Amino acid sequence: MLSLRYRIARWTMSHRNVAVVVFILITLGFAAGLRNVQLQTIFSDLLPKDDPFVQVFKAHPNFGNPLTVTLMVKRKDGDIYNGETLAKVWQMTRDIDLAPGVDHDQILSIATEKARYAEATPMGIDVRPLMGDHPPSTPEEIDDFRNRVDKSPNSKTFLISTDGTATLINATFIENRLDYGTAFKYLQGMVVKNRDSHHDIYMAGQPALTGWVYEYESQMFRIFAVTLGALVIALALYMRNIVGVITPIVTSAVAAVWGFGFVGWLKSPIEPLLMIVPLLLVARSFSHCVQFTERYYEIYAHVKDRAKAAEITMGVMMAPSILGIFTDIVGIFLIAVAPIPAMERFALFCGFWAIWLIPTGVFLISLLLAALPAPKNVDRLVGRGGDHGIHKIIKMVLRAIAGVTHGKPARFTGVVIVVVAIFAVYTALQIKIGNPTEGSNLLWDDSEFNTAVRQINRHFPGVNTLEIIFEGKNIDDSSRVMHEADTVLTMQKLQSLMEDGPNAPRATLSFADYLMEGNRLFSGGNPKWLSLDPTDSGVNAGAQAIMLGSSAKAFSNVIDFEQQNGTVSLWFKDNKQGTVDEALKKAGDAVTQVRADHPQFRIRLGTGTIALQQAMNNVVERYHWVIISLLNIVILLGCSLAYRSIVAGLILLAPVNLANFILNASMHLIGIGLDINSLMVAAIGVGVGIDYGIYLLSRICEEYHRHNHDWGKTITASLTTTGKAILFTATIMFIGILPWYFLSALKFMADMGLLLVLTMLINMVLALVVLPYLVWVVKPRFVGRRDLLVGEGVDLSAFTASDLELGDAT
Amino acid sequence: MHIRKYDFNYGRRALMEKVAKGAFAAGVLSPLWPIVAKGDNLAKAYPDELVSIEAYTKGKIKPGDIVNADNVEAVKDLLDPIAYQQVKTMGRHINIVAPTTDITKMFNYDFLQATLRNKGKAHFDDTGNVVYEDGGPWRGGTPFPDPKDAKEALTNITLSWGRHDYSLYAIRDWDIQPSGEEAYQYDFVWAELNTTARTDGQVFQGMKDLLRLQSVWFTKPQDTAGTAFLSQWYYDQRKFPELYGYLPAFKRVRQFPTNQRFEPLVPGITFFLSDAWSSGDPMLTWGNFKTIGRQPMLGAISGNWQGSRPNWEKARHGGGKGKTFIDTYMELIPEVIVLEAEPTGYPRAPVSKKRVWIDVRNNMYVASVTYDRRGEVWKSFETGSGQFVDGAAVFKDNSGHPAWSWTYVMVHDIQSNRMSILSHVHQVTGGYTTTFNMDGDVVNKYMTSQAMQRLGSV
Repeated sequence: MLSLRYRIARWTMSHRNVAVVVFILITLGFAAGLRNVQLQTIFSDLLPKDDPFVQVFKAHPNFGNPLTVTLMVKRKDGDIYNGETLAKVWQMTRDIDLAPGVDHDQILSIATEKARYAEATPMGIDVRPLMGDHPPSTPEEIDDFRNRVDKSPNSKTFLISTDGTATLINATFIENRLDYGTAFKYLQGMVVKNRDSHHDIYMAGQPALTGWVYEYESQMFRIFAVTLGALVIALALYMRNIVGVITPIVTSAVAAVWGFGFVGWLKSPIEPLLMIVPLLLVARSFSHCVQFTERYYEIYAHVKDRAKAAEITMGVMMAPSILGIFTDIVGIFLIAVAPIPAMERFALFCGFWAIWLIPTGVFLISLLLAALPAPKNVDRLVGRGGDHGIHKIIKMVLRAIAGVTHGKPARFTGVVIVVVAIFAVYTALQIKIGNPTEGSNLLWDDSEFNTAVRQINRHFPGVNTLEIIFEGKNIDDSSRVMHEADTVLTMQKLQSLMEDGPNAPRATLSFADYLMEGNRLFSGGNPKWLSLDPTDSGVNAGAQAIMLGSSAKAFSNVIDFEQQNGTVSLWFKDNKQGTVDEALKKAGDAVTQVRADHPQFRIRLGTGTIALQQAMNNVVERYHWVIISLLNIVILLGCSLAYRSIVAGLILLAPVNLANFILNASMHLIGIGLDINSLMVAAIGVGVGIDYGIYLLSRICEEYHRHNHDWGKTITASLTTTGKAILFTATIMFIGILPWYFLSALKFMADMGLLLVLTMLINMVLALVVLPYLVWVVKPRFVGRRDLLVGEGVDLSAFTASDLELGDAT
Repeated sequence: MHIRKYDFNYGRRALMEKVAKGAFAAGVLSPLWPIVAKGDNLAKAYPDELVSIEAYTKGKIKPGDIVNADNVEAVKDLLDPIAYQQVKTMGRHINIVAPTTDITKMFNYDFLQATLRNKGKAHFDDTGNVVYEDGGPWRGGTPFPDPKDAKEALTNITLSWGRHDYSLYAIRDWDIQPSGEEAYQYDFVWAELNTTARTDGQVFQGMKDLLRLQSVWFTKPQDTAGTAFLSQWYYDQRKFPELYGYLPAFKRVRQFPTNQRFEPLVPGITFFLSDAWSSGDPMLTWGNFKTIGRQPMLGAISGNWQGSRPNWEKARHGGGKGKTFIDTYMELIPEVIVLEAEPTGYPRAPVSKKRVWIDVRNNMYVASVTYDRRGEVWKSFETGSGQFVDGAAVFKDNSGHPAWSWTYVMVHDIQSNRMSILSHVHQVTGGYTTTFNMDGDVVNKYMTSQAMQRLGSV
């Protein structure tokens, strides 16, 4: 009686036409969903949705200026008070009003009417723009302009640098009209056009960052093409026959159509920043196909019948294939445990793609192998008649590796493994959470955007903000919470607490500051009138003073349009973890002192770059070990079931976990902290890395009987056959992913590529060394069983490695 | 039986040909103004498809019907682009009524008489300003009843916004968020007094160098009550008006930059000073006037004063919460001039041009749209107007005749999707009621710095 998988294989092969039609129909069905596929970066979806900071951010997305672009005009050889620079600022201000999707009411620079100075007059107050109807050009006009700036404290703080060499142009965009790509192209054009020998132009702000990311994402397709091409070439060089090249390509392409088509039908946007993972799946599919095909060659060399060989291969490989893919699926799906919407969507996309590798990588590949012409170089490929070229070298290396995993050398190997493991675990546990970058972690440190952020931080309060939100409780109430004394006085007290003592922010700003300035001006201009009358009417007077003849949008950095919610903005010198921790602690203490809950509003800590960075760190800290632990449990259960032994599960998990520790230890030693990248890489690393072990252990189970329970020969035979496929698999992953590190202008993708390559390489080495060593040491009984899910229900002797193939393996 | 004398497209073709040939007399079948002078039926000047919406749409829409998203395509060419979007995508609907054919219902009595009396006596002087035939300030009515170009057409509106020598409007304003919720609600009063270009032909209190005094003061909500603005317009349309704001809490007056015309008066309102009456700035601070065309159009020129409703307030509908649009009644206007102008006097204007649709019969605008500097549609300024007669309810002006005035304004910033609705009501908070009668010394009451301070202290 044949086992189930052999019956499935036989049925499939005897109904090949039906199976092919079914595959074509399903593929067409998924292909129809391709038209709905959307590649879209939704930045807010990269944040953990259950984090309190993120919830504040989502409740008040407009604070922290997410739609504002900041251009800094920096005079290289002097200050901005000259005709040329001021004319440039004037023209750039006019030009930015032409940017697609800009809010014409929210453009601010020293050349706009919104930058004003005020003078007390006998009647009251005369408020005028800093610049008249043209940019100052004569010495008298420039002097006059400088005097006006002196009468405009807010302009001096937020629009002109203290050394007078730089000035800012801020433009806010309307969210539903903003096409990031188009706007970025226009703005970057402005930047390039206005740079000259006297001026540097820097551009920062979330729309600029998004623009850069989109710009680089368009490069991603070229890198995709390059890496896919490299994969195909590697495949062709390795296989040197049509079947061996066509089969992985067709199989992987069909899985890809299913993967993309599935999310197309779900209309779930795909996050381009994570597209390296699908490439990993392509490489995974390629390598799986190679292992499957190599086994097919071995069997074909025995049976000399394509269909029969395909049927037997399907039967032999079904269980280890499914088990290997199952671990990939678990690894990918468990990424969704971290409550980050982009990760959840991506786990769905890639997890199902991995699932599709089962029908395509087990059934479709068998159908293709049975249909395509038999390769003429089978004997050479399986090593009959001796190995040549690369195959010979690989086999020699593998034989050497096998040599250190059993017998006397194994004792030394064991010592090395234990020492490395202790060092790796200890070092890995020292790793820090987070990789603070001045600017965006998505881009390289020397990228134009991050350079701009650094320059702006150097000249102005900067972009490292913590926003403490004052949230109105009764927003339907026509009375404006931001006009009430309790609100504004609490803001002032909070600012005062933050500004006192050590670790104070570089600058603070709230609606209260504008009210004080309004109060001063309308009270005659003397600074002694900065203080607000601590009554509702006094505060409201200040609000009316600044709002007269103005749009609420002019204050959208500190209050919302309806004036029911506001923020206290705190600028910090950097976003290093120490600064972030101190800032949050100090802010938390200050909020406690002023009380978070008031009759008309509540204070929520907080949003801004500081808080959101901490949110990302929190999610990594919370879920890193949770995901690894869950992954271990699920894989332990699956593998123990497949091998009918918990020892098997433990033997398989030991190398992958050690690999993970070694990766983290390496990251710590080179100064990289744990972040969202490493969270994903850890999950994928364990899920995909364990495949090597599964293939090798399955082979060991097969070879064990062939070699009369001789552990040494069994290990050598397994390593020199399946080990070759493992080496190729690792190589192909290397080829597919490493180029991203060098080619991607997106640091996020490059980092992920590097970490994935590292984890795959470490996993490969440990699978080839540690797993056989553990088998040698433990000598598990399950290896001798003939009823394993991943073992064989038929006589394998015809298909296992012959002495000729092993050579002098012992 | 009515015999159709002309083919269906005759009217529209004739309007286009008029523009192409540079002809300017209003009317298609016959010149309009002789008919106006005789007090005859205005429809006689136009073929059927320009006076009957049913004929124009080939029966798809008729008076009594409602234009909504399902049938708006039939009248797409008769609406400004933002009004079309409102109907098509935001749930606005427009009630269609029969056309007005009586010129007396399209003017207030005094202004029509002044227009007829002074017809042909206006010309531009060397400075580009309109003067009476004796070289003095204009003496009332539309200076160019049959405007031959865009500048003349715009002059007709600018010289006398409200067409009464004195108007005090009680206005209730709602400012609607993109979600459809109300963000702000203000009550305010708008007073305007022409010192020249008056229907009585006089110069008011010797102020011959001024065109008008105009003030705005807010009465609700409490935190804004007393805030006031005063604007003094020069007769010379090259000069910017003086603009002052008053803050009651500080008892201080703030002088604004004179060319700050593209900012709201108070937070939340999408309406800029520049938008007022589609000609909110001195005429000669704009330039590059162009006549774009002549066409029929749907306009809210009758039936929109609902004096039988409490406080004349109108119902609203549409948008996210059913509050974004005022209920409007529109009719087919046979001929509007479509003109454009550019803010040449404002080097920092965020606007590149405005397009205005003006009814040739009474030379009042129906709607206008501003474009940003990229040439994209930005804001619409749609105004309802008409005689203040609603069944038995009649509101009279100082001549003893039914008043004619504006009834509502909807200012829609289509880019940020914020709407301001200004409803001309009978009374607002503070007890101010709409009037066209000068009761006492309104200048010292409402239109001086001292007056602003008094209003603010109430």
